Amino acid sequence: MSALSPEAASAPSGGTFDGVVSHGNWIRDMHPLNVAVVLASISLLALATPRPVGLVSGCVAFLGIAVAAGVGGSFARLYAKLVVGVGLVLFVLRAAFVHGNHVLFELGPLAPTWEGVREGTTFALVVMALCGALTLYFVLVPMKTFMLALELKGMPPQATYILLASFQAITDLGRSARTVMDAQKSRGIETEGNLWVRARAFVPILAPVFITALNQTEERAIALDARAFNSGIPHTHVLQLRPAPAWERAATALTAAACLATIGAGLLWT
Amino acid sequence: MDLATLRDVTFTYAYAEMPALEGVTLQLQRGQLYGVVGINGSGKSTLCSLLRGLIPHFHQGTLEGTVEILGKDLGEWDAAELSRTIGCVFDNPFTQISGIKDTVFEEIAFGLENLGVSRSDMLDRVTSVSEQMGITALLRKNPNELSGGQRQKVAFASIIAMDSEVLVIDEPTSQLDPQSSHAVFEIIADLKARGKSIVLVEHKIDLMAQFADRLVVMRSGEVVAEGPTAQVLASPAMDAADVPRPEVTDLAFALEAVGKGLGCVPVTRREAEAAIATRMRGTQIHADRVA
Amino acid sequence: MPIALHDVHFAYPDSTPAVKGVDLTVERGERLAIVGQNGAGKTTTVKLMNGLLRPTRGTVTVDGMSTATRTTAQVARQVGYVFQNPDDQVFAGDVEAELTLMPRYLRWDAAFTAERVARAVEMTGIGRYFGSNPNDLPFPVKKFVAIAAILVGTCDYVILDEPTAGLDRPGTRQLVAMMDRLEDEGIAVVTITHDMRFVADVCPRVVAMADGTVIADGSAADVFADDDVLVRSQLQRLEVAQLARNLNLTDRATRIADVLPLIP
Repeated sequence: MSALSPEAASAPSGGTFDGVVSHGNWIRDMHPLNVAVVLASISLLALATPRPVGLVSGCVAFLGIAVAAGVGGSFARLYAKLVVGVGLVLFVLRAAFVHGNHVLFELGPLAPTWEGVREGTTFALVVMALCGALTLYFVLVPMKTFMLALELKGMPPQATYILLASFQAITDLGRSARTVMDAQKSRGIETEGNLWVRARAFVPILAPVFITALNQTEERAIALDARAFNSGIPHTHVLQLRPAPAWERAATALTAAACLATIGAGLLWT
Repeated sequence: MDLATLRDVTFTYAYAEMPALEGVTLQLQRGQLYGVVGINGSGKSTLCSLLRGLIPHFHQGTLEGTVEILGKDLGEWDAAELSRTIGCVFDNPFTQISGIKDTVFEEIAFGLENLGVSRSDMLDRVTSVSEQMGITALLRKNPNELSGGQRQKVAFASIIAMDSEVLVIDEPTSQLDPQSSHAVFEIIADLKARGKSIVLVEHKIDLMAQFADRLVVMRSGEVVAEGPTAQVLASPAMDAADVPRPEVTDLAFALEAVGKGLGCVPVTRREAEAAIATRMRGTQIHADRVA
Repeated sequence: MPIALHDVHFAYPDSTPAVKGVDLTVERGERLAIVGQNGAGKTTTVKLMNGLLRPTRGTVTVDGMSTATRTTAQVARQVGYVFQNPDDQVFAGDVEAELTLMPRYLRWDAAFTAERVARAVEMTGIGRYFGSNPNDLPFPVKKFVAIAAILVGTCDYVILDEPTAGLDRPGTRQLVAMMDRLEDEGIAVVTITHDMRFVADVCPRVVAMADGTVIADGSAADVFADDDVLVRSQLQRLEVAQLARNLNLTDRATRIADVLPLIP
């Protein structure tokens, strides 16, 4: 039983088998569906509250939750990439092209307006709030525990398999691209160097890498059959979800209720 | 009831010009370890697919003749029931990983989850199988990042953990070092001792000679010999099918060719050593008498 | 001019050392086998030879030039490496495209390309699969396609990682015939293999590795005679070698012909 020793089982890797996963942090130990409810409620509240105050506070709330869960660093890094890569681009596009009365300055054909900036800010913030909720969710909850939670609520294993396999396929594509790069180097094709050298090596492998992945689906189907995936017997699970304690359920319900009540109140007043 | 009865079976894959199996008549008994040998393309893997019901359920083509698995016509089997009854290890270790598990432990447990095995049984079985295979050090690794040999061990462990009554195993040791290959054969022998029926395709003929009860020799889609291992290994069917014999059997034939025949055809080293030792003692005694 | 490894160390990014102080020289036209348990450092060693990996300590030179100062692609044009798993190497839509990948990249003229491809196809016996999609081919054939793709190049050294895995007897004959032709052309062949019969029959020099180091370097007879080496590298003697030893006939048998005259 060496592999299942208690020391190993308490490792916060999520890869424990003998007992229930604990990350040693109450937020990360929450039931995946409760986390979903809480984050969804906060997002809804952020969207319903007068803009842009509500949206900004939503984003800040996500950051706060991440810090409290001990994943502040990794969430902030990921989120910063999204803000720059997605948020900023959306903002610039709106700000530059939306027509309005208050032109800020003119630069050739571009005439950003005050209205455009405002609309751009709001739109970018809406997207960022939604992205933030999703990003935070998958930083907090491993994909496999989320899928297990759905399966235990009655989602068919075929559906969870497809979702999990799709996510794995993204990792696999990255890996097989690297492998093919190695194979190319071994055939005297330069893959190291400037952008042009890399592109010349990379472009020809794109199609084959995808085709190989597709080709594997048939073999995958047979492999799944060999593992009795379609046995017709209700599946059991080696992974166990931590049963949500009463206070966690109460807290989740309270948060959801509070957010919805606030939204409702806001709607009634206006 | 037999494990499988094939009567005049011919199978041609869709879009193929030549049949992959042609006029195969074969009776496989339960509780035996059958070795299947033949060159690549001789029909070994197709025979495995047929016994496992992948033909006609997965692979398209034309199937003629009758196939009975455990007394029931192949066509009447429910695919799900067949997949529970007959475990199958394929030859390519790179495509047998489920692709959705991020530890070897969960990968091996995957088949058990699908069979609805209780969690405590699952933990026991995965642990004992991985100890048997000597892969406990891999249990926390990501199965998608293993080497070929490691994947092959994990794929094999995943199937034997499912503990099905019948096992069809296609080249389980192609990526393994000699020691691991031997370990795999020991496990297969142990499964047989526990009453499992096993059909095993493998090129390593020395191991086959040591472990298989009976051999099936294939050539161009036909079965050219079937019988007790020692008898088949000594038969000319081996040459006809271009399959090597165990080294010690070749040694016995070589001795016979130079007029020093052993009077028997050994197929394992132990048998050969015993026969040669007897000969050497005889010569020693003879020499002593002369002296 | 050889491939020379001097006190080579290599550790993977997760800092597990895979090779610890290897000294090894491979001469042009030589044929050698690297043997040892899975995980002994065999594949890492050959990847260091063709520049896919660069040593964390020590030097690797090919024909006098260090691999550290050149790109993998440059080194690989001298040292061809056939991966253990053909799926890691073969990626074109059909065999022909696979074989002409390097010529197209290096802009060889049509005549030279045709000559090199024809030679590779003939050596590997894959002529009848020329138009096939490699993914539809059986594993051993795919392996020969991967070998052919490397042989199209003009390397002086060829590394084959587990070439006999899953091969039947005709396949092994094809492989040995190919290695003979490479020898005639003065090309060195380094194989990694678990197949001791293959080693004893066709590799005059055997390098045994264990735990990231070379523990023996000599003929198959030398390696099989040494109990200590066999235990450390977890190798098993060939059946005839073990038989000859158990019967106190000889310690150095590797072939049936070695034992035959010793039996009364």
